[in-house]
Amino acid sequence: MRILFYTGKGGVGKSTMAASTAWQLSRKSRVLIVSLDPAHNLGDIFCVSLNGREKRMNENLLLREVDLHRLSRDYLEREIGVLTRTYSYLQTLNLDRYFSVLKYSPGIEEYALLTSIEETIRQDGADFDTIIFDTPPTGLTLRFLALPQITITWIDRLAQIRRQILDKRHTIQKIRGAATEEEKQREIRLAYDEKDDAVLQRLTALKANYESLTEILQGPGCGVILVFNPDMLSLRESERLVEGLRDIGLPLRLLIQNKVTAENRAVADQVAEELRKMVRDVPLLRVALSTELACGLDSKLYEIPEDLVKPLDWSR
Amino acid sequence: MSPSIVESLRHFLAGFSQGQREKVIGLTCMEQQELENVFALLLLGSFVGFPAPPTFLAVELLPFMEREMQILGQRAEDACDMLGQMMGTLGVD
Repeated sequence: MRILFYTGKGGVGKSTMAASTAWQLSRKSRVLIVSLDPAHNLGDIFCVSLNGREKRMNENLLLREVDLHRLSRDYLEREIGVLTRTYSYLQTLNLDRYFSVLKYSPGIEEYALLTSIEETIRQDGADFDTIIFDTPPTGLTLRFLALPQITITWIDRLAQIRRQILDKRHTIQKIRGAATEEEKQREIRLAYDEKDDAVLQRLTALKANYESLTEILQGPGCGVILVFNPDMLSLRESERLVEGLRDIGLPLRLLIQNKVTAENRAVADQVAEELRKMVRDVPLLRVALSTELACGLDSKLYEIPEDLVKPLDWSR
Repeated sequence: MSPSIVESLRHFLAGFSQGQREKVIGLTCMEQQELENVFALLLLGSFVGFPAPPTFLAVELLPFMEREMQILGQRAEDACDMLGQMMGTLGVD
């Protein structure tokens, strides 16, 4: 299974490129295309209504739109459930109202996105040959792709402190001697073994999960495709994205320069040259602006004449 | 000696020994509580405006953090007399 992320500045044609690639790939293999972009153009490109759900275009191609707000809400509801069960005596308080504020916390949306990607890879990986993610604009994409590694760094630091706490508890336990019956009943003695500490257990489980996800994202089956236009704004944002991807170790597999015309050809060459200086070994594909496709009301936006599949054969 | 005196002496020595043990571990207990406080502060700092780990990490661990949250609350209450508390723990009159 291959995983492709289509990224780039807003409006460069990420969704169109992702949809066209999915369409071309689906002629020979099973493809799932997932739109993570809150703007949700996927349905518009295929002229179908998705409304945060999925639709099968043909035997080989499944379209899916991810509703970020619903994902965040579902995640928080799950956590509220765990909290309510754990702190059962707090049920009289208005927990729901308190947690409704959490959805505005920084990071919840990125986490919902990451969870969605993770669930898609784990649940649908076996049923498809390629999973294509149409991502939100650069800033948010880089943040959620970096999230597993940032989280692992935090987990490591927190686990280190937690082990120190358990170490102190162990010392105290050794000096105090064995716990009396009364202490056992009143649970005065605190857990000092790593296996008995719920916090460390949860941290360890989370770390294992994020390490496996990082391994998938940085692995040979995963690739990022950068879509950009022949203009300087697009170039600058693409440069930042290339640097960001390099920082988090995600493999950039293909550059697609979209909306190239005879008029902007000179600028297109200049922009492409600048970007190629940063990533010399990544292939570049040029896609011409098709005025015919963009104008017709019933035009099939996903039917792009350029071959978008061949340049993706990095592992073959 | 009558059995009651021996019994009393045994109780006294056991109590004395326990007292000495508690005295020895007093500082370690304080250190452990402070570490738990730091742990909670690092994890839940975003709720009080500190730079903090991704919020979802705090939410994931929140169900297991009852004790740490109690310590955090206690530390906040004692914050106005931290010196007095330190002196008390160190046995300085």
